[in-house]
Amino acid sequence: MSTHHTGGSGRYGFLMTAAIGLVVVLAWYDLGLDTTRLGESGGRLLDFLRRMVPPDLSVLGVVTEAATETVEIALIGTALSIVASIPLGLLAAGTVTPALVHVSVKWLLAAIRGIPLILVAMIMVGAVGLGPLPGVLAIAFHSTGMLAKFFAEAFESVDNRPIAALSSAGATAVQIHWFGTLPQIAPDLLRDVMFRFELNLRESLVLGLVGAGGIGFYIQTYIRSFQYQKVATLTIVILIMVIAIEAITYGLRRILR
Amino acid sequence: MQALSLENIHFGYKSGDEPALDIGTLNIGAGERVALIGPSGAGKSTLLRLIDGRLRNWSGNAEVLGETISSSKTPGRAFSRKIGFVFQEFALVERQTVFENIRNGRLVHLSTMRSVFGRLTPEDYKQILTAIEETGLNEFMHRRADELSGGQRQRVAIARCLAQQPGMILADEPISNLDPGRAREILDLLVKVCEHRKATLIISTHQPMLVRTYVDRIIALSKGAVILDEKSSPASAAQVMAVYEKLADPLADRAKPVSA
Repeated sequence: MSTHHTGGSGRYGFLMTAAIGLVVVLAWYDLGLDTTRLGESGGRLLDFLRRMVPPDLSVLGVVTEAATETVEIALIGTALSIVASIPLGLLAAGTVTPALVHVSVKWLLAAIRGIPLILVAMIMVGAVGLGPLPGVLAIAFHSTGMLAKFFAEAFESVDNRPIAALSSAGATAVQIHWFGTLPQIAPDLLRDVMFRFELNLRESLVLGLVGAGGIGFYIQTYIRSFQYQKVATLTIVILIMVIAIEAITYGLRRILR
Repeated sequence: MQALSLENIHFGYKSGDEPALDIGTLNIGAGERVALIGPSGAGKSTLLRLIDGRLRNWSGNAEVLGETISSSKTPGRAFSRKIGFVFQEFALVERQTVFENIRNGRLVHLSTMRSVFGRLTPEDYKQILTAIEETGLNEFMHRRADELSGGQRQRVAIARCLAQQPGMILADEPISNLDPGRAREILDLLVKVCEHRKATLIISTHQPMLVRTYVDRIIALSKGAVILDEKSSPASAAQVMAVYEKLADPLADRAKPVSA
């Protein structure tokens, strides 16, 4: 190649940017997005917000109950995902299993991550019926794709030198892993779990849309029946729930180093 | 009494290759302090692994602290307890505190259940605290290993050995990652604790002129064989220099192009 390296990559970068820009413009026209409608929406949006006030607190009880169910679905789903992610993470760790195994398991995990939660939830509802059970299963399945990948990365990061030192000093196999391996990775594993729990909580809000339990059912019901004051109560409860959980996990993550 | 006696030791990493170890007879007395010198690839670390019972598929007879070493089996805990190993790169659990890292050396005295439930005996605490005291780590006891300097970390590694109550300490290039001041401190410490505990000390090193002054005896290896075995004295300096001059470029003769 006669082109100077940086000159070549600079031109390549420009062409890529131009191509991406062109795709975005084409997509805009293909969808027929009408900007005048955006301008006219202001009034309707205001009307929507006006009809939310004051929030209808009569549904606070039922909404809080549903929100609690969502938290519980996320919690149990995350717990099941941890159980599945430990063996899968070990199998996917390049330092633990031969290439054929860890590459295959990594592909499997990527495939799991690729299936949207809502699709998994619909399949689970079809399989086990309505209610929180399909929600829990969907969250567990969906989040294992990411959590097991994170666990595998943590297992791969283990420093073998202290392990060798413990082994040389006559520690038993259990002692080696309890005192040598676990302290190295436990904070990372806990951080991964809390991060995934936060994601699971937010993602599980939509489970109710397909009948898989939780607060999503009320989101759908109230909006479709134009009960905006109830939607307001719902929004407040969801906000409080998400912020509270994030504050707790943020605090816990700060303790772990 | 002998702490180590080796006879007709042969070991090669690959069959047909030059031997990594090729030792006729080598005895080291109890309480002796020995420097193991020689260029990279001379077999120093391999020999230390053999003495530690972690080398496989060698031939010959090896007796360490009264126990015969097997070339095919992992040594039992009773043997591992007696040999302390100090690594070049400290080999600490970085997220654990100094105390916890030193406790790790004590695990060999505890059953798995006891240790996992944290049930250390008063004797265990006493030995751990003595090790901390001897290595001057009192004020760092509750600090994490990753907050310490190189010299302090190597002190922790030595204290971890001491918690085992070893009869022999093998130190594999323990000062290679340290500045000259810290290197002297670590050598002083190794000599002091081994003297105090009447433990045998074998240090492999790439700084023979420095380590020479801390030991009783110098053993030089080349291509797995002992090429110098002398008492350490002012006169031995020249012999040590000669070892390295002779071996100035250990790869020189191997690197010759193969002529047709």
